[in-house]
Amino acid sequence: MADIHDRILSRELKKGSAELIILSIVEARARHGYEISKLIEAQSGGELKFHVASLYPLLYRLEERGWLKGRWVEKPGQRRRRFYSLTAEGQRVLEQQRETWKKFVRAITSITGVSHA
Amino acid sequence: MRDWTNEIESHLASLKLKPGREAEIVEELAAHLEQRYAELRNQGLDEAAAVALVREELLADEGLAERMRPLRQASSAPTVAVGAPRGDLLADFWQDLRLAARMLRKQSALTLMVVLTLAIGVGANGALFALVDRVLLRDLPLPQPDRLVTIWERTETTPQSLVSPLNMLDWAQRSRSFDAIGGHLTGVFAMVLTTPNGAEAVMRQWVTAGIFDALGVKPVVGRAFLAADDVERIPSVVLSESYWRARFAADPSIVGQSLRLDGDLYTVVGVVPDQAGILGRANLWGLNFIQGAPERARGQYAFQTVARLKPGVSLEAAQAELAGIAADLAREYPTTNEGRGVALEPLRDVVLGVELKRTSVLFLGVVGFVLLICFANIANLLLTRNSARGNELAIRSVLGADRRRLKRQFATENLLLAGLGGAAGLALAGALLAAAPAAIPQDLLPSGVVIDFDWRVAVFCVVATLLVALLFTLASSAQVTQLTALRKGTLSGRRMTDRTSRTREALVVGQVATAVVLLYGAGLLMRTLIEVDSVDPGYRAESVLSLFVDPLSSSYPTPEALLQFYADIEEELKANPNVATAAWASALPLGPSMAGRLFYDVSGEAAVVPSERPTAEMQIVSKEYFSALDLPILSGRAFDDRDRPGAMPVCIVNQAFVERRLGGGEAVGRTVQTWQSEDSTVEPRTCEVVGVATNAKRRADESEAPSQIYYPFARIPNDDVYLIVRPVSGDAGALASFVRAAIARVDRESLVSVTDIATLESVAHQATARYRFRAVLIAAFAGLALLLAALGVFGVLAYTVQRRWREYGVRMALGARPEAVVRLIVHGAARLLIPGVLVGVLLALVAGQLLGAMLFGVRPFDAATFTLVLVALAVTAALSIAGPALRATRIDPVGALRGE
Repeated sequence: MADIHDRILSRELKKGSAELIILSIVEARARHGYEISKLIEAQSGGELKFHVASLYPLLYRLEERGWLKGRWVEKPGQRRRRFYSLTAEGQRVLEQQRETWKKFVRAITSITGVSHA
Repeated sequence: MRDWTNEIESHLASLKLKPGREAEIVEELAAHLEQRYAELRNQGLDEAAAVALVREELLADEGLAERMRPLRQASSAPTVAVGAPRGDLLADFWQDLRLAARMLRKQSALTLMVVLTLAIGVGANGALFALVDRVLLRDLPLPQPDRLVTIWERTETTPQSLVSPLNMLDWAQRSRSFDAIGGHLTGVFAMVLTTPNGAEAVMRQWVTAGIFDALGVKPVVGRAFLAADDVERIPSVVLSESYWRARFAADPSIVGQSLRLDGDLYTVVGVVPDQAGILGRANLWGLNFIQGAPERARGQYAFQTVARLKPGVSLEAAQAELAGIAADLAREYPTTNEGRGVALEPLRDVVLGVELKRTSVLFLGVVGFVLLICFANIANLLLTRNSARGNELAIRSVLGADRRRLKRQFATENLLLAGLGGAAGLALAGALLAAAPAAIPQDLLPSGVVIDFDWRVAVFCVVATLLVALLFTLASSAQVTQLTALRKGTLSGRRMTDRTSRTREALVVGQVATAVVLLYGAGLLMRTLIEVDSVDPGYRAESVLSLFVDPLSSSYPTPEALLQFYADIEEELKANPNVATAAWASALPLGPSMAGRLFYDVSGEAAVVPSERPTAEMQIVSKEYFSALDLPILSGRAFDDRDRPGAMPVCIVNQAFVERRLGGGEAVGRTVQTWQSEDSTVEPRTCEVVGVATNAKRRADESEAPSQIYYPFARIPNDDVYLIVRPVSGDAGALASFVRAAIARVDRESLVSVTDIATLESVAHQATARYRFRAVLIAAFAGLALLLAALGVFGVLAYTVQRRWREYGVRMALGARPEAVVRLIVHGAARLLIPGVLVGVLLALVAGQLLGAMLFGVRPFDAATFTLVLVALAVTAALSIAGPALRATRIDPVGALRGE
């Protein structure tokens, strides 16, 4: 069980950037919901966790906006899964959000003096 | 493995999502939780802890339901469980329609078959309906057509004679029953229109001033003829609308201008709609002056009349009034009018004769039969398709599609199919009707009665199409009902298939029966055509040219002048070394006749009471007639120079006359008495028989040769006469321009009309045109019926083979030889063919009787035709059996058993 600070960090990060994170995860190829949640957790070194209750409503919202497209894929011997892929519109939004995020990080860095280096 | 479905469903319940969408979300989330739970258990958590953690995650971040709430209108699912009721009629219909379109595209071969069959059925029948509608169902295309009548003069021998112009004027003046009475000459002849760009032929018909008022046609521009035009003798013409549009580009300023026709100037007074063409196929109508005609014109019976009854006046009342006037005229002008009465007949009956009505009724019957066959064929195709879709139906109904919804789906599919077929049928009907004028024999339809594609034809096609959709929907509904019974277990699958098969078989039996009827009818009509085409016309001449020559009587007022005119023409013709013979005659063999019938008796034979005197056709021919046609004189002599005006009256009779009245005895030298009427008080005309001629056919479909009496033309010259020219060698048609030029050299003022230029072969061909049209049309439909029936038989057999594939496989695996399997299939075909043929033969016997009036030279029951029909059927049956049988013999028993 994560401690209270981790959970606050996770929530704050997700608030501002959840869409960007999801779009980035499916950029390379279509993925199903469970895979998306695992990848986010792994790639953030365990800092970010998307559980069922937050992940799927977000996926549906992105789908509603036309940024993602979900489709059922059946594989032999498995139950069918819904795979989400980036639409052309989603791709455009992703690039825009990346730019915004970089500017935001630069601004925060210069104000707070916090830097990776 | 743990099932999270219920848990997720309870979380989502408050959202009231669309059922399909909810099911998807539940499925997706359940998969996620399942995997998450398995992961936690793999990490070493016990069951309780893992479940607790998963539940916690489901409730994290305000919980799933709360986060989903803004998404209640979540994007609709890309796929919906097909056939599930949604309750929204329009949306359902749209969905059904798209599904139907997909289904039809997937089954493109079947769709094409159904659409083509329907197109042929609806299109061909729509075109035939146009004819039937025009002839049987509708009135003439003129205003208040029920008030239009034709007035004939009537004598005791001629119930319907043409009318004298002066009598017509007196009727118009003295009667009160009519709004207008007009007359027209029956012939439509060519005139030469001289323009700055050269000369061209136009078709002209002479009419009297009142004709357009009687018809009720309103001029498009200008006016119709006025009585004043006649009184003042202003040469004037009225153009037909189509000619005006084609030749004068619909220029209204043509009215008032003059046209040079046959050298004389005529003023165009107006343009009338083409409906006036009911009088004759003319480009323009010339005013025939009758006011102030000399009194001798009273004896010239030249005009056919159109009269318009006043509103509310019955035909009988008008007839009674005119009969009184005719009696007055008979007292006033006894020399011409003694014994002449009047007879009124609705114009419709005059224009659309009995023959045409009979043909239309025949077509109506054929329309019905072919439409039935088409329906049966399509029903068959759809039944096959539906039974093949049994699986799909079962799955959909298990998935929750209710019966109503499935029926609606079928109805939509049928509607779409019928719509496609109907649209193609409409197009086909339009195309056929566009081509019809060229295909229909010219004298089948009266001029002015045009069959075309109009809204009534369109309505017929649409109604037929809807009927098809309705019938098929009823049939598929029954199938869906059966399917439901199947699901409930009250009907076995085997029985359902059997029931469908029985319906299909019954349909095919019906098709075969119908094909037999149509084939038999077509066979009888074909044999009739062969009979009438091969009748011996009596004359031997191979190639003979005939022309109708009509000198204006005022130019040649005396018989001597007329004879001189004819002699001059003969003289001109002899200048051409290729003219062997030229002759004059009042009638053409197998063609029209200008003379009537006579009552006759022979002196020295047992006296006959006047009312039972035999009749004979009167023909007036010149001395060269018999040699020109090569019509052999069997005994005595032909006419010669002795038969001049003033010489002893002579005549020639034909074989039939001799056999009928003289028992085959000697005729030459006997005296024949002839009467124009049955009235015994009238002095007979007598003549001495100088020769006996071979029978010459008057009509192709004469059942027995009529008695004929020939009079010498030199004694009774006529001014409506056929000129017959026989060449020394070669085609007579090549002489036409020379003969015209020869007449023009004699008739320098171009007052003689020369028309109907044709060889006798084409006259004979024309005489049988309606037989040909009927036979060819019905044969085409019968061929279509046979093809459809063959497809029906083939379909049922092919389907049976498919259904019994395994059974055949088992049989062959157990040692049955391929012949045994073929026998099974042939047996199946016999089950369809034998009852079909039996029913068909019975119906054909009835149909043959109904056709009786149209047959010639063949009896309604004709064994030869029956045999031919059966042979045609046998060949077709063999062809439709061959495919399925061949397929069955190639069954691989192992494959069949494996169910492939």
